[in-house]
Amino acid sequence: MMRGWGIKLVTYLGAIILAIFILAPLAWVFLSSVLPEASILSFPPDWFQHGLMDANYRYIFTGEVPRGAVATGTLRRMISQEVRFVPRAILNSLIVASAVMLVNCLVGSLAAYPFARLRFAAKTPIFFFITMSRLIPAVALAIPYYLIVQRLGLIDTHWALIAIYSVLTLPFTILILTLYFRGIPEEIEEAARLDGCGPFQTLVRIVVPLALPSLIGTGLFAFMLSYSEFLFGLLITQSIKTRTLPVILSTVSWNPDVTWGLTSASIAIGIIPTLLLVVPVWRYMVRGLVAGGVQ
Amino acid sequence: MTVRGRIRRITGSITFSAYWMIAPAVLLVAAFTLYPYIYALWSSIRVVSPLLPPAFAGLKNYKAVITSIYFLRAVRNTLIFTAAAVPITVVLGLLTASLLNRRFFGDVALKALVLLPWAIPIAISGVIWRGFFNSGWGALNALLYMAGIIPKYIGWLTTPSLAKLVVITVQVWTQFPFATVLILAAMQAINEELYEAAAIDGAGLLQRFLYVTLPGIRAMLAIVVIFETLMGLTAFDLTYALTGGGPGTATTFISYFTWAESFKMLNFGNGAALAVILAAVSLLMILAILQFIPRGALVGGEER
Repeated sequence: MMRGWGIKLVTYLGAIILAIFILAPLAWVFLSSVLPEASILSFPPDWFQHGLMDANYRYIFTGEVPRGAVATGTLRRMISQEVRFVPRAILNSLIVASAVMLVNCLVGSLAAYPFARLRFAAKTPIFFFITMSRLIPAVALAIPYYLIVQRLGLIDTHWALIAIYSVLTLPFTILILTLYFRGIPEEIEEAARLDGCGPFQTLVRIVVPLALPSLIGTGLFAFMLSYSEFLFGLLITQSIKTRTLPVILSTVSWNPDVTWGLTSASIAIGIIPTLLLVVPVWRYMVRGLVAGGVQ
Repeated sequence: MTVRGRIRRITGSITFSAYWMIAPAVLLVAAFTLYPYIYALWSSIRVVSPLLPPAFAGLKNYKAVITSIYFLRAVRNTLIFTAAAVPITVVLGLLTASLLNRRFFGDVALKALVLLPWAIPIAISGVIWRGFFNSGWGALNALLYMAGIIPKYIGWLTTPSLAKLVVITVQVWTQFPFATVLILAAMQAINEELYEAAAIDGAGLLQRFLYVTLPGIRAMLAIVVIFETLMGLTAFDLTYALTGGGPGTATTFISYFTWAESFKMLNFGNGAALAVILAAVSLLMILAILQFIPRGALVGGEER
């Protein structure tokens, strides 16, 4: 009896410590995004002396300079236009990530089916070439990628980011989809084949509809990776026309003319899309990956 | 037409289908893999810089890089960082997965919570934690001060030794959710009857973990260790956003050093030499770790 009680105690204690570790920095972001600058900078710290405000959010969306409860004399200096780029940067990230997701679903499922079902020469070497190509660290490819993109005249375009992110995500997508497609009972496809369907028709008519949830989950994973990518975003983009969210947030955060309150409000806005996606991605992709791959 | 002839015709058209179906992916990956690698190899033995005329450099770039004190420092920083972050990440992932494998009040909420750090782009996590650890107004200093634990604010990110610890902590924060998810999934795939049998045999909690859980998740643990080692050795976004490699060079890792050498110093030749070394070391690490993985355990296994 005593022992069961002890285990329960350890369980809850562990859960609480874990929750604090995960939430502490996020709580600070959300809290400081609604605090006036004077409260954040106060010493000894008194965060709630001037109450809460939505001025940071309002500035990002409307350009209305925050006044709040702070003396306004020095405030003007602390405002930089850069933080107003955040909504546009989110849009850029969404555009690029959606396109990459589309490429992954189309090109990925097309390539995964032969690897899962068909016999052809050099299948294994090609499969390993594709999947292993991603094990080389990204920074090792930075210079060549930059020069390729430059030569193609695609610096500062969405196209360059879409191409690079597709290459970075496709190997994983193909690996996962190959496993999924292999998991589909072959008898179902047999019927289509007897009706005279070639591999392509079988894929489109039978396999894709069956694997749709996993396909979307895998696509969403590529979406998330693209939305989060930083190194190549930093390298390829030069203006707000294409700058992605992680890049803008990083430069904003190093900009001395942006207050922490504004930075944290931008973070709070920027991470919403990925927070919304994490549960579907986990349900459809990670679970299937584990169930299908390792047992 | 003979049966054999018909089979051959069908097989031929299927082979053709296979090739055109994989063609877009193969071409895309090859164009962005082979050419860049060859280019990196080529520029690593040349003087390539917008500031200098191009010339042949032989192994000078490699020599310049390897003998640079900054390079050695970056290598040491990276190795210490990886050696600390990977075990902590894996152990925390294991503990969290064991926790989430139990039924308790709020377990579903905690599961969703654990996914949060994974969902946030690493570069943004770096910014978030920089605000948390800020020495002037960060939440940690404020909370510790209010609780009376510290008499004055601590320079978490301005003291080299503390900054190293902070970077490891944040790396663990960003990485342990994925480790947890994978390990948990492997745990849930273990046959319940094995636990019952072990319990009948009188196995305690620890023994059940050692003899049932651990063998069941061994393959997954290996995958997690490889993945996390790669993430550690190539960490870039985190230090860029969290410390900028500082204070001084305290948190400058190989990736950041390579990036700075290429795009801050504009010495593409040295940068390429570094990139080649980095790629080679990563490959060796992968091969070495692969030796420890049970055969057929890897997801990428071609034959069933």
